[in-house]
Amino acid sequence: MKRPRLSLREQPLPGGQPLAFGIGLAIALFVGTLLLLGAGHDPLRIYSRMFEASLGDPDAWAITLNRAVPLGLAGLAVAIAGSMGLWNIGAEGQIMAGAIAAAWVARIGGDWPGFVLITMMLVAAVGGGGVLAIGPAVARAKLGVNEIITTLMLNEVAIRLVQWLIHGPWKDPDSFNFPLAPMLPDQARLPTLFSRAHFGLLIAVAVVIIASVAVRYTGWGYELRIAGSSESTARYSGISLPKKVLTVLVLSGAVAGLAGGVELAGTADRLTETISNGFGFAGIIVAALALMRPSGVAAVALLFGAVQIGGQSIQTLGVSSSVSTILQAFVLFGAIGAGVFSRYHISLDSGPSSAPEEAKS
Amino acid sequence: MNEASLIGLLFATVSFGALLYLAALGELLAEKAGVLNLGVEGMMAIGAVTAFIAGVEFQNPWVALIIAMLSGALLASVHGFFTVGLGAEQVVSGLSLTILGLGLAAYIGKDYVGLPPGAELVPVEWGSLSDLPWVGPILFSQAPIVYLALLLGVAASLVLSSTRLGLALRAAGESASSTDSAGHSVLGLRLSAVAAGGALAGASGAYLTLSITPQWAEGVTAGRGWIAVALVIFGAWRPGRVAWGALLFGGTLALKTRLQTFGVDFSPIILSMLPYVLTLLILLMISIRSRKRPSPSPAALGLAYRREER
Repeated sequence: MKRPRLSLREQPLPGGQPLAFGIGLAIALFVGTLLLLGAGHDPLRIYSRMFEASLGDPDAWAITLNRAVPLGLAGLAVAIAGSMGLWNIGAEGQIMAGAIAAAWVARIGGDWPGFVLITMMLVAAVGGGGVLAIGPAVARAKLGVNEIITTLMLNEVAIRLVQWLIHGPWKDPDSFNFPLAPMLPDQARLPTLFSRAHFGLLIAVAVVIIASVAVRYTGWGYELRIAGSSESTARYSGISLPKKVLTVLVLSGAVAGLAGGVELAGTADRLTETISNGFGFAGIIVAALALMRPSGVAAVALLFGAVQIGGQSIQTLGVSSSVSTILQAFVLFGAIGAGVFSRYHISLDSGPSSAPEEAKS
Repeated sequence: MNEASLIGLLFATVSFGALLYLAALGELLAEKAGVLNLGVEGMMAIGAVTAFIAGVEFQNPWVALIIAMLSGALLASVHGFFTVGLGAEQVVSGLSLTILGLGLAAYIGKDYVGLPPGAELVPVEWGSLSDLPWVGPILFSQAPIVYLALLLGVAASLVLSSTRLGLALRAAGESASSTDSAGHSVLGLRLSAVAAGGALAGASGAYLTLSITPQWAEGVTAGRGWIAVALVIFGAWRPGRVAWGALLFGGTLALKTRLQTFGVDFSPIILSMLPYVLTLLILLMISIRSRKRPSPSPAALGLAYRREER
């Protein structure tokens, strides 16, 4: 009997991952076309609107870049952990912890000069995200507790912490009883670069470059990648795994926390429940599409940001926001599938060499 | 706090418990076979919306329930195809499945938002049992799906612990290659477990829109899919323990909306953190203990199996 089977390519297809992302986009566009036609819309008009709103002119680029900043930082956070084979699913919560810490600094430092205030806010954000990651990091390093689950649980705790703060202690007394945190003071806002693009872009680019160099070219990064590819090799070469796990997970949380601080000071005017807006989960996907390489995160984040911003823009044309959610999901599955095929090839195989039940008969 | 409101609280505890249990049982099956599916929230949403739509269109709650379970299984099979078939990362595929499920549910349900339900699962009458004080209104006036959840839990427990199928399923989650060598199809076992898990998550969603809050609105699942994921760990991958956990977590959900009526000055938001914090604590306890004993987590959980890479 011939059956399809996957086998590992000796070399991944050249340009496999960009290709995978492209195929994912193509599949999403195709499915999206069907969806839009089904709902009685003109797909061409919708797609050109998506493109214009996300990459059409400098203003559109600014909005897309502002979205790519938290996506990229969250993606980087996940990728740092991922280059050691660890899954930080908690970026969503760490972003919120970072935003809480930054908002707290803005509360106490309302009369500090802008440069000091913003610097302190971002430092606090880094700390906040790192603190939320300490628990999972210690549990993983010392007890071997699966970090996927612990970080996932802490997401749910962190979102409720934000809700509690804005419904309770941090509720704005002037908000007419709406659960809203007070507006940030003006000097707590990140300066803009062009149009609405804010300074967070430069921060994100700098952090991505530093992380890429650290992982790719330093001894620290080399050990990290060894530990990621084979635990036993790492142990034989004398790398202290628990210590590495601990630092990498906390670092990952800190970068996600920075994303929260930058988002708060850059685009939000106040701490809200939606301050993270799914960036942490999107970051996991960004990192996975970038194959957990910090250097690939920036490009993926930019494209993903464009898809998100374009998707939002078509709501004004009467297309429900769920269409853009579905499109995103199809980009993901398309890219996941194509990514597999860039590393494997399918063959029809009668395979007596591999199938035990056939070998027996 | 009077008797009626206490009965109301306990009734809701059992209802929410069953809701969580159905989804958690599904996740347990998938994880026992070695597949982590973080798409529970999306599958629940699909179950909720398809059940509601089918209820409106066919006016029959049982048809609606079956359609919801099939839809859940179908959506879960997307995860099965990518993770089991292609060996893609389970975490990434599962999260993508949540996004897909929530998006699809919102899309196909947009014309049904705010409509009155076409069908509801009415509580079962147990005759004189339902008239018993306390026990009657709490345990014997629930929607039929609650008893179904209990039945499925017992069945799952028996199948997993004492049948060949259950043994093969657990083996697929512990060591895929030896299961393969023993002549079982790892692919088939895992795909069926994932699909069955989706069907149960779909049933859980259907329970929401056919009984608990018989309405469709976006976000009706409200993060309960994540609680189901937590429950599996909380219950150490055992159907019985997961059931007790479901009651406990169901209790926090039931209490959340009632704190004020009981005159308790405690933030419902802080209360809703409880399931997650408890799960974290349990996870820590399991890990500290399992230095001496083997971990209850399936050994091959999260690992793709490709035969030629054995």
